[in-house]
Amino acid sequence: MRSVLAIAWVELKRFLADRSNIFFVFIFPLALVAVIGWQFGGGGPGARVSVVAPEGEARTALVQSWEDAVLAVTVRDSAEQLRDDVARGDAQVGVVLSDDAARAFEDGERMEVQIIQGTGSQAPAVAQAVRSQTEAVASEARQVGALAGLADPATARDALSDASSAVPGPRLLVQEPEDPLAEEFSGAGQFDVGASGQLLLFIFMSALTASVAIIQARRDGVIRRTVAAPVTTGQTMVGLTLGRLVIALFQGVYIMVASAVLFGVEWGNLWVTMVVVLTFALVASGAALLVGVLVDNEGAASGLSVGLGLVLAALGGSMLPLELFPDRLRTVAHLTPHAWGYDALADIQRRDAGLLDVLPEVGALLAMAVVVLTLGSLALRRSLSRAM
Amino acid sequence: MTTTTAPVLDADGLARSFGSLTAVDGVTFQIRPGETYGLLGPNGAGKTTTISMIAGLLRPDAGSVTVAGVPLGDRPIEAKRHIGLVPQDLAIYPELSARDNLTYFGRLQGLSGSRLRERVGAVLETVGLTDRAKGASKKFSGGMKRRLNIGIGLLHEPRLLILDEPTVGVDPQSRHAILESVEALSTEGMAVLYTTHYMEEAERLCDRIGIIDAGSLQAEGTRDELVDLIGGTDTVTLAGTGDLEAAERALADLAAVEQVHRDRGALRLAVKGAPRAISGIVNATAGAGMTLSDVEISRPDLEAVFLHLTGKALRD
Repeated sequence: MRSVLAIAWVELKRFLADRSNIFFVFIFPLALVAVIGWQFGGGGPGARVSVVAPEGEARTALVQSWEDAVLAVTVRDSAEQLRDDVARGDAQVGVVLSDDAARAFEDGERMEVQIIQGTGSQAPAVAQAVRSQTEAVASEARQVGALAGLADPATARDALSDASSAVPGPRLLVQEPEDPLAEEFSGAGQFDVGASGQLLLFIFMSALTASVAIIQARRDGVIRRTVAAPVTTGQTMVGLTLGRLVIALFQGVYIMVASAVLFGVEWGNLWVTMVVVLTFALVASGAALLVGVLVDNEGAASGLSVGLGLVLAALGGSMLPLELFPDRLRTVAHLTPHAWGYDALADIQRRDAGLLDVLPEVGALLAMAVVVLTLGSLALRRSLSRAM
Repeated sequence: MTTTTAPVLDADGLARSFGSLTAVDGVTFQIRPGETYGLLGPNGAGKTTTISMIAGLLRPDAGSVTVAGVPLGDRPIEAKRHIGLVPQDLAIYPELSARDNLTYFGRLQGLSGSRLRERVGAVLETVGLTDRAKGASKKFSGGMKRRLNIGIGLLHEPRLLILDEPTVGVDPQSRHAILESVEALSTEGMAVLYTTHYMEEAERLCDRIGIIDAGSLQAEGTRDELVDLIGGTDTVTLAGTGDLEAAERALADLAAVEQVHRDRGALRLAVKGAPRAISGIVNATAGAGMTLSDVEISRPDLEAVFLHLTGKALRD
């Protein structure tokens, strides 16, 4: 057992000693989690508004109300600058308040506000938030204006405030239209979907790219030397397989911990999540063994690993959520381990699923692991006998 | 140095074929403690296949290997504990430091804890890499990598060290250091199996030499025994002044001297076993009134033996 652990440990050490892995293992996955979260998760630091308005009561009130809605507001000097902001994506929405509109606001009259909406996925949501806040502030201004004939503006505002608190507001029954897609994602935080996708993508990719290390060790005669030590061929095989598994698990645990700390990703029941990660990592390890043994050229193995890793990830829902796939494609996606992993993680993250709930997905992953590990072991045994 | 103690390695009738190609055919030899045995042959002669069978990497089709009294076929793990293999390839992890490489292979050999640390430190010292123990070995020179490659084979203090062409591609300075290390190891009692196609290395290091070609051991013995096999004689050239004619007659009477030629101011002799006969030759010339100014002995080398036995040059 000590020999097996020594072989597995040295594989992880070699993986971490490769400096090119620092970016791809530690930085790149988290960058993708952040980008996907900001892109598809809505809200967050990405909600930005630029405004052009004359200084005064109207601008102050509007900016205050938008900031209360957690929008980042930038005041621009000209409409041209504002349009640039929207065109470049620096702001999802631009608001132009003319001098006449500002005067109408102060006089409690109807005002016209121009809203320029960008093309990003967040723009409609941000525009809606701007519209709601603006209407609320403008409505209050008009009510104050209506009372201004009876009293001075300050007294009118106080009276309006007193009246608002004395009369209970209407009971609002909000009925949202049925949206199955929204139901699928309900319970998922801003970064949750992106994090689970990237978790699967990078576990598989890191294990596959580590297959290059097997090819190097075969070429340099290190595996031959390992077998010449007092260890059995079986121990060598288990050690090499365990090495891939340790690398895959290391990558997975790192993404889980870092995304939870940096982006507040909720992984649900950690034990159940780890069962899913472990079974998925077993599939990845078997695939890595196969590539490492069947391919003799490091460059070819590297290209194959990246290509296969990306294609399987894309098909399995790691880049675009499976829920957005057409039904037929979603069925095909379940030929990949990623889709099974994605489904299981989605259930755990969004619907607090337990081990029994994700048993079908775990079972499918285990079946895949048995197939690829058996094939990989047979190929490795054949390769070891050739190496001798 | 040949002793009568039990052999550390007993290779008996080893044979191995790959398809229709017979790579090794009935190779038999033994190595005793403190003995360095050279397996000399050109590329493709069967050296590496023989070594692979002895190291337990390749199952022989016929024959057996016993290491330190342990039959490799029956108890491979136990037998392999007595073997240190230094392969021809630089079988090290280039991303790891010298210390990490040694630690890894030490663990595979069953070392752990303070014993492992102690052995790693000692081997680093032996191969002269203590100062570079922490740097990635991919930054080492070729000679340093070779030394690390050898160090790994020494970690567990094996009874039998197998060195497969350890000086290939090494600069002269590192080569000299490696040869010195091997000489030191045999004086410490380790049995060494050394394969090479460099005749001068075999002559310098090996107590006994097996000449292998086309998978068969063509001959084995000490260097002198091998030279004697082909009836080789040494050439002794004597330069000097005085009565060369009288010296020529006196030398012709010596049993070891087969022929004497006078060549201007020198005498050229064909001598059987010149190192042993040289004192008699010097005495005979002095007795005949010749004052020697220079003595040169030229011996037939293993290259000539190899050519005689196989009909081809060693580097073919």
